[in-house]
Amino acid sequence: MTPNNLKNERLNEEIHFAELENGLKIFFMPKNDYLKKYAIFATNYGSNDNRFIPIGESEIAEFPAGIAHFLEHKLFEEPEGNIFNEFSKLGSYVNAFTNFNQTAYLFSCTDKFYENLELLVKFVQNPYFTDENVEKEKGIIEQEIRMYDDSANWKVFFNCLDGLYHKHPVKVDIAGTVESIYKITKEDLYNCYNTFYHPSNMILFMIGDIEFDKAFSIIKNNQRDDLKSIEGEIVKEYPEEPESINKLKVEESLSVSTPLFNIGFKDLDIGFGGEDLVRKQLVTSILLEMLMGESSEFYQKLYDEGLINNSFGTQYVGHKNYGHSIIGGESEKAEKVLSEILSYLEEKQKSGLNKENFQRIKQKYIGYYFMDFNSIEYIATTFVNQYFNGSSLMKYLDILEGIKFKDVEKRFNQHLTSDNYTLSLITPK
Amino acid sequence: MSIEYLREKIDNGVHFNLIKTNKFKTNLINFYIVRPLSKDEATKNALLPLILKRGTSKYNTSLEIQRRLEELYGANLSINVNKKGEKQIIRFAIETVNSDFIKEENLLRKILDMLNEIIFNPYTENEVFSQNYFKQEKENLKKRIEGRINDKKTYAVERCIEEMCKNEKFSIYKYGNIEDLEDISCKGLYEHYRSILRSSPMEISIVGNINKDEAINSIQDTFRLHREDIINLPREEVIKAIRTKNMITEEMDVNQGKLTLGLRTNIPYEDKLYEPLIVASNILGGGANSKLFLNVREKESLAYYIYSKSYKYKSIMIIASGIETENFNKALDIIKDQIQELKDGEFTDDDIEQSKNSLITTIRSMTDNNYSMSEFYLSQALTKDTSHISDMIEKINKVSKDEIIEAANKLSLDTIYFLRKKNN
Repeated sequence: MTPNNLKNERLNEEIHFAELENGLKIFFMPKNDYLKKYAIFATNYGSNDNRFIPIGESEIAEFPAGIAHFLEHKLFEEPEGNIFNEFSKLGSYVNAFTNFNQTAYLFSCTDKFYENLELLVKFVQNPYFTDENVEKEKGIIEQEIRMYDDSANWKVFFNCLDGLYHKHPVKVDIAGTVESIYKITKEDLYNCYNTFYHPSNMILFMIGDIEFDKAFSIIKNNQRDDLKSIEGEIVKEYPEEPESINKLKVEESLSVSTPLFNIGFKDLDIGFGGEDLVRKQLVTSILLEMLMGESSEFYQKLYDEGLINNSFGTQYVGHKNYGHSIIGGESEKAEKVLSEILSYLEEKQKSGLNKENFQRIKQKYIGYYFMDFNSIEYIATTFVNQYFNGSSLMKYLDILEGIKFKDVEKRFNQHLTSDNYTLSLITPK
Repeated sequence: MSIEYLREKIDNGVHFNLIKTNKFKTNLINFYIVRPLSKDEATKNALLPLILKRGTSKYNTSLEIQRRLEELYGANLSINVNKKGEKQIIRFAIETVNSDFIKEENLLRKILDMLNEIIFNPYTENEVFSQNYFKQEKENLKKRIEGRINDKKTYAVERCIEEMCKNEKFSIYKYGNIEDLEDISCKGLYEHYRSILRSSPMEISIVGNINKDEAINSIQDTFRLHREDIINLPREEVIKAIRTKNMITEEMDVNQGKLTLGLRTNIPYEDKLYEPLIVASNILGGGANSKLFLNVREKESLAYYIYSKSYKYKSIMIIASGIETENFNKALDIIKDQIQELKDGEFTDDDIEQSKNSLITTIRSMTDNNYSMSEFYLSQALTKDTSHISDMIEKINKVSKDEIIEAANKLSLDTIYFLRKKNN
């Protein structure tokens, strides 16, 4: 095997890459002075992907909301028992997560990396679902959903997505609903598994003080041999989402002390991935910070007036087929915050952005990029995320440095307009 | 492993800790002011970080502070209060990218200057904090204290501790309380701050690739420390006999009930049974292979999360879980059975091995995180413990089954706290 090698001199980091015949892509970043070793095995399949053509079939089928997350829980089950046990024996820490677009299985350890790696590769490729073990999981996931139902931050966010989107599955909780998960069957799980857990739809990223050749052979020697290669891409279907927002306002009461708000702006400039998507994410994040970050006059004004506190913040999330900016915080007068934001944006559209603010915030993002490389968990999850979005973590700095003031100005003119927002509000019970 | 640790006294009651390593791409400076946890000053200490963040004599507003931090390549500044046992610690942390990666000279010196501004030169009007900032931040702290109920998981654990340690200092909330907040005056707070700067033990820690002399020189050149008599920090009370046997139920409009148990471990951290206790706690509820996880979650599907955690300084253990309100008795019975099994030695050598391995992995992993390293050495300083990470691992490795059983048999259940769904 001769791995490809991508080195970033400024960062003083490199990434090795190799691909197996069955299509699995393997990446490795050396971190020789770290004691922790980490591997993540991920599929390009998340809670949004509920309508697709199952492998070997020809028609689109629809599955209950929350199935990707349910599948994540169930993969830990093996005929001999729960795989947690095997990792525990090695003293390592195993976990998994499902988000809108991916499902990932990971472990970290400081010893016996190769044994852990073998376990990871094997258990993710070995589904074992029975009617009984599927039933048993429903109670556990129900408690997980109920736990999130009591989390005001979680609810205010999903209610905001519900306000922004008419049909797109991003509006539905990643874990699904108590009703939807009780509909899930063993057969559904196998159907989703067989379609999305094909090695050609997956990547494996490793980081730490590891010998790549040795790790590569372990991965290679533990592949399933009963898989057919698949031709072409998996056909996924998403409902056609109108440009308009779904609801102007979504309100709910929970046991909280202060009202919480999320103001969402729907992104209409969508439909692309790759470096263009990464650039858009960065441009939009810089724009939001310039307008409303802690170093902006606007933030200071709202803070001084007692309209917001230090929980106030902004974020942009962009994916190939959806995107939104969210401005959130706590306030006794969320409606007033909204109207202040709207009139401020209108005024700023006329008076224009400030170039010095742009330079400073860009400088901060450059610093953050290096700082983030302290955390191997961050590197691993971000690498996977960027890969599935069609870009690379190693190109991020070049993209960031290439951003010009006029890119941000241009973005401001088409995003954050007064007809594409929604207000989500959680009020005390 | 390329990590060196050095500790040196640099002034009356002030210690410098250098955690020298080149594995991180940043330099992190932590400045800790250590106070005894007491009702008299807890609320004041909690208010200070909020006010100090608002302005300095050079950077009068938080806008100016933020802009300066952005110029320094997005230096992260955080100021907060924390509770470590019966001590309250004000921590000023600043971290920025190492000069090797960017075209900026003396970045370390510049962030030290910023830290100095924040700690020693707060913005004042008429020789006290700004009345305006004071009023606003008092209101913000009030909201934060009231906001305790927002995160139900943490709230249930804190309430259990509060009920269990009702007559002890450990029950004091790290952000203080609203009654005391009302009584604080701007002048009183300013004087309190001046006084704690003179009399508190301080720990200054740097994690990064810096040499010792350069670091100490920079610190001594930058900070003007006016030290007086340094206060004594009393060791935590570890109560051996249970004073209160509690069953507390609180109702709230929630979807999920939170069942929390408070136990006395009756083992101080200096005791030879301390490491066996840590292993015992891990076997009981440390992870996905623990007795509580396997029986409450995997076998009975009663909970999504359940764990146990022991609190080093105060010698208590908390068991926390989220369950359906109507499953209270069932879950409680299983938890009690599992504690009893632990005491009876109903666990295997494999369980012991796994728990030890998992604890050792956690300890070793600390060295990959600059904040954890800094906190670890702070905690060693507070407990006057000079052992290193390798010593801790060795002690864990030596723990025997008999010792685990002996430690487990010292556990006594003190308080059951249940946050339940309101009956409609």
